[in-house]
Amino acid sequence: MNVATMPSKAQPKLRLRNVSKEYVAPRTGQRTLAVSDFTLDVRAGEFLCIVGPSGCGKSTVLNMIAGLDQPTGGDIEMDGHHVRGPGAERGVMFQDYALFPWKSVRDNVGFGLRHGTPGAGLTAAERNDRVNHFVNMVGLAGAEAKFPHQLSGGMKQRVALARLLANGPDVLLMDEPLGALDAQTRMVLQVELLRIWGEAAEEGDRKTVVFITHGIDEAVFLADRVVVMSSHPGRVSAVIDIDIPRPRRESIRSEPRFGQLTDEIWSLIRDEAYQAIA
Amino acid sequence: MTTATQTSRIAQLPPAVKAVTLPALLIVVWQIWAMTLPETSPAPAPAKVVQSFIELTASGDLVWSTLQSLGRVLAGFCVALVLGLSLGVLMGASRAVRENLDPIIESFRPIAPMAILPIAILWFGTGTPAALTIVAYAAFFPLLVNTVYGVSRVDRQLVRAAQTMGVNRLRTIATVIVPAAVPSVLLGSRLAMGVAWTAIIAAELAVGAKSGGGTSGGIGQMMFVFYAYSIDLNGIVVCMIVVGVIALMIDRLFRVAEHRLLPWRN
Repeated sequence: MNVATMPSKAQPKLRLRNVSKEYVAPRTGQRTLAVSDFTLDVRAGEFLCIVGPSGCGKSTVLNMIAGLDQPTGGDIEMDGHHVRGPGAERGVMFQDYALFPWKSVRDNVGFGLRHGTPGAGLTAAERNDRVNHFVNMVGLAGAEAKFPHQLSGGMKQRVALARLLANGPDVLLMDEPLGALDAQTRMVLQVELLRIWGEAAEEGDRKTVVFITHGIDEAVFLADRVVVMSSHPGRVSAVIDIDIPRPRRESIRSEPRFGQLTDEIWSLIRDEAYQAIA
Repeated sequence: MTTATQTSRIAQLPPAVKAVTLPALLIVVWQIWAMTLPETSPAPAPAKVVQSFIELTASGDLVWSTLQSLGRVLAGFCVALVLGLSLGVLMGASRAVRENLDPIIESFRPIAPMAILPIAILWFGTGTPAALTIVAYAAFFPLLVNTVYGVSRVDRQLVRAAQTMGVNRLRTIATVIVPAAVPSVLLGSRLAMGVAWTAIIAAELAVGAKSGGGTSGGIGQMMFVFYAYSIDLNGIVVCMIVVGVIALMIDRLFRVAEHRLLPWRN
């Protein structure tokens, strides 16, 4: 187990310093500390997973990085700049996909390019090419004209991923993106996600990913490092290096090291997980 | 055994046949009953209604009156649409506006359109403006309430998604909030059109009652003339049927439009 004291070759992509988030109930004035003293550096090109018991504030942390929620304490920086609000350089893939139901697959993928900052300076043809590229990459060719309600959960997830990538974000923030899928689909998409992330590419060409999951095996399979959170209030309880070499194949799931790491993480959150359902 | 087979045979009939069987039967019974009455009886009978319908159509009165009523409904509906949509978007988007206006809206909403007729007549006379006011008033509430609902219930997550794609606030309203509210607005429009059509008939009846007929026209007025002057029950039944058929057509038209405009819904 290594705490987050990695030798940083360069400036971290994301820097969270003593971040806290307190909610005040509007009627009663009751205060709830959702996240407390959360400190973490995320390296450029790193695949970082956050796991923790339900309600530990994982999503709150992600939303604060996205700029959708403001921290009540501490500071979040990206590339040395204070994060003030949402921006296309930090793309989010939401748990429920948040696809626009009135837009076709093609228009969902191209939404940011058409209406947001990512499309600035691109011609219509260039946008089109980019949409096609990512639609093909996630295996949705032929389904471009369909509406979200016509798609299976796995396909919606692919649309959300293509939309995220089409906007060309520097940091990918993913909130349990595979959570709603059945086990088989999830395993297939994990492998695909690593391929799309650029597992086979040079480390410098990879995007930075912050990936929230409640699946410990999923985190071990995907991540370079796993952040384990504890709840009430949510904070970092451990950061685990996943020293399984890449590219990772399905077969690593049966290797001893995979089991060791999974057990180690499970032992860190087991007590709280039991308390949560007690 | 035989009963079971008979039931299943009826169940197998096409829906269209099932839909007209009972009405057709009732009309036959009605006609038979009417034929037992003396020739001078004013009671309406199917054959006489058909005859009346043919006469009224041939003279052009029926078509003209219907068009006049439809024109008023459309005009009143448009007034309600402009008011209902703009106020609805404001109330849906701003909680402060909503909380301030809600008590006023909710205290007017239960007041039936006919209940404001006396005031409308006093202010606008017995002609078209009074009828229009009634229609606009009737159509306003379904439009407003559904627009407010549509705008305030827009999935917050979609707005957040747009923000993380670098879409600015104004563009988010145009590309997320408005499209998301369209289904509610269309539903409101359909309901509004339905009550507007109901209201115009009632308004024309009442407006006609005061003016003594002939001045304001419309199908409601036509009914009033049949009732108060020529005492033609067959003519009244013709009007009732036309009113019903038109209401049905308006509803179907809106349903088709909803289907066409919202291909993304199942």
